[in-house]
Amino acid sequence: MGRGKGTLALLLVSAGAAPSFADPIEDKAAICSACHGENGIPNDKAIPIIWGQNEGYIYIELRDMKKGARKNDQMAPIVENLERDDMMALAAYFAAKPWPNLDQPRAAPADANHFAVMANSGQCGACHQSGFKGAGTQPRLAGQTYEYLLKTMLDFRSGARANNDWMTSLLKTFSEDDIKQMARVLAGL
Amino acid sequence: MLKKLGLAVACIGAIGLFASYGAADEKPEVNKKEIKPAMLFGDMSLVTQDLLNRAGDDGNNFLHTNGNYLQTRYYPARQINVSNVSRLRPAWIFQTDVIDSLETSPIVVNGTMYVTTSFDHVFALNARTGEEIWAYRHKMGPITTYCCGPNNRGVAVYGDMVYLATLDSKLVALDAKTGEVKWTKEIADPEKGYSETMAPTAVKGMILIGTNGGEYGIRGFVKAFDAKTGDLKWTFYTIPEDTKGVWATTDATGRDMHRDIEAEKAAYQKLGPDLYQKLGGGVWQNPAVDLETNRIYFVVGNPSPDLDGSIRPGDNLYTDSLVSLDLDTGKYICHFQYIAHDVWDLDAVSPTIITQVADKDGKMIKGVLHAGKTGHVYVHDAKDCSLIRYSEAMVPQENMWVLPTKDGARMLPGANGGVEWSPMAIDPHAGLAYAINLHQPMTYHVESTKYPDGKLWLGGAFKVIPTEEQWGNITAVNYNTGKIQWQVKTQQPMIGGILATAGGLVFAGEGNGHFKAYDSQTGSALWDFQAGAGVNAPPSSYTVEGKQYIVVGAGGNTQIDYKRGNSIIAFSLPD
Ligand code: HEC
Ligand code: HEC
Repeated sequence: MGRGKGTLALLLVSAGAAPSFADPIEDKAAICSACHGENGIPNDKAIPIIWGQNEGYIYIELRDMKKGARKNDQMAPIVENLERDDMMALAAYFAAKPWPNLDQPRAAPADANHFAVMANSGQCGACHQSGFKGAGTQPRLAGQTYEYLLKTMLDFRSGARANNDWMTSLLKTFSEDDIKQMARVLAGL
Repeated sequence: MLKKLGLAVACIGAIGLFASYGAADEKPEVNKKEIKPAMLFGDMSLVTQDLLNRAGDDGNNFLHTNGNYLQTRYYPARQINVSNVSRLRPAWIFQTDVIDSLETSPIVVNGTMYVTTSFDHVFALNARTGEEIWAYRHKMGPITTYCCGPNNRGVAVYGDMVYLATLDSKLVALDAKTGEVKWTKEIADPEKGYSETMAPTAVKGMILIGTNGGEYGIRGFVKAFDAKTGDLKWTFYTIPEDTKGVWATTDATGRDMHRDIEAEKAAYQKLGPDLYQKLGGGVWQNPAVDLETNRIYFVVGNPSPDLDGSIRPGDNLYTDSLVSLDLDTGKYICHFQYIAHDVWDLDAVSPTIITQVADKDGKMIKGVLHAGKTGHVYVHDAKDCSLIRYSEAMVPQENMWVLPTKDGARMLPGANGGVEWSPMAIDPHAGLAYAINLHQPMTYHVESTKYPDGKLWLGGAFKVIPTEEQWGNITAVNYNTGKIQWQVKTQQPMIGGILATAGGLVFAGEGNGHFKAYDSQTGSALWDFQAGAGVNAPPSSYTVEGKQYIVVGAGGNTQIDYKRGNSIIAFSLPD
């Protein structure tokens, strides 16, 4: 939970308040770049890609973080002062950006096959949809950072991420190794 | 009705999931092509109430999602029939731009066909050639909440408009000639778990629509909007404020549901008054309309959360029920509950059918049919909704009604049924109802969780048992006796729908891409076509320039993970 970054974000919040940006949404979005990356590539691998993520999903996460349903030390001060309209605007702004390619290694065929079996039994594709790109409030998983995917799935499993009971129950039925493998395959898509 | 995917056995590797589609990424817009005048018939594209009323005898058009207001899916044309169906071959194939689940019922008005795709695109096609006339690509709002795939089951036609309900819970009226948007209305708030996949019903200047959301703690409804303006005319909440009912201990067939009525009564004291706001009760499919009595009949889906009854004591009215309303006002007339206090999601989804049925004394009266996820066809008296009889079980039933447990209790049927949302067809002359069924053994798990603010709320899980065989069947039930007349087993669980015709045929597709015609009296397979993707949509039929066509979507299915595609295929006999 890089504490240092929290401070950085707060600094940027005040910097962002200076009238140096014309578009108020660009202004708000600039703060995010400190962690989520200037060009969409996160500065730390445990921080998720939000460029090109689905609009509804970005909004729901910001909403849940503000409500406290999803807790994260770094995001908490960021969402504190966001209103629904801000969240919607930020969601639209980042969803319209291109999804960056992190060039993560593609899974070996054996891993991919095992993944197919797991994805089948966990019905992942029903919600995360064709190509694991999600839609609406269902997140894109394909090409997300491996470290983040792993962390957030383990967080669901342990209850540390508590904003979706369904994902929590579902991931409890998988071992840590299974989850590692799923994260690896999804990251490489 | 959360549809549980039969993934454990599904033979299509999840690799199929990696097939890419452009839908979610595209920026939708109306594509205004040059408008072609309606051919042959001049400007007869206006859909009058009279035309809609007579759809049951109309061998040219296909005007309602389920064929006609009575929803018989019995098509009166007989050019294609038992003696020549073996020569049926594709006349044209139209490929939509969305490769995903196709559940659309093609609607045909004087030679123009309207089909929809996943993510709510609409295409108007020349029904004779398959050429595109216009396309509407819905600009999806940012927030959509749906359990079971980005499906759409088709449009309604009325006047000079085409009506569509969308995943982001909007009702959209399009100009039938151009696809231009005339108006858009929000049906309900998608952030609270409401979404739309059903086709609307157009009748008497109104557009009727139900809602999905029983997996998200909504309060279900049927709404009527003014067809011209989109103004709301009435709302019927499927969940009344008093939801306790009669504390039924058995289901419609008399089997004990193992309720602890005393405990429920005590809990109701505390929880009862607030239950209705989040009790679910989606309406997934179209009502049957009886214009003689000015009534509609539809079925209501499961209570929320699906598997956890502990926090919703009482019968949970009117979930898992047949309901009848006054068409003009939306006022309640009668209901019949199949399963009170359902904790298995074995709810009521497949659309109702109105037809003459034999009552208990053998007298012919107006009846209502519904095929349950339980695997029974239920036969009701249309007057008071009461149950006359139920059919033999069309699929194996075991261990009913064992209560869900933490580690899972096995019960058959699995939570998809029996009969899912798939519409039945009937042959009113033979007194037969045709239903397509699933056999997917599952375990039912309960885990209590609090209302998650519009997110998926099952209160547990259904799990397909990976080691057990799955299959499907087509069953013809004599609804005047409840006996099964014939049954054909299919390789895979069946989902999509069926069409019967006066040519003595029924048509139904399968997840493995086969689209087949059967003799409607005997079940003999007479024709088979491999569509290359799952045929999991209800077929339609129509006639243009003297030639009868059968049309169906082959796009596979998200819910049961059948191979995706994007084809609308029309079949006819060679010249
Ligand atoms: C101080 C660093 C930091 C800043 C600044 C920051 N974020 Fe985040 N953000 C994170 C971290 C870390 C996570 C992952 C949280 C977790 O693991 O649960 C995250 C998660 C998210 C998520 C959830 C993504 C997902 O896939 O679930 C969204 C959406 C998001 N941030 C949006 C924003 C927006 C919009 C801004 C600017 C207004 C912003 N963030 C600013 C660190 C930051
Ligand atoms: C019933 C629908 C559904 C199914 C099935 C499902 N998910 Fe999810 N998943 C979701 C939703 C909705 C979210 C967003 C969670 C939230 O509310 O914040 C999510 C979130 C996630 C996330 C976090 C994404 C992020 O950016 O933080 C991962 C990773 C994930 N799911 C993996 C999986 C895997 C792997 C499977 C199969 C084993 C699976 N999911 C099955 C609906 C589903």
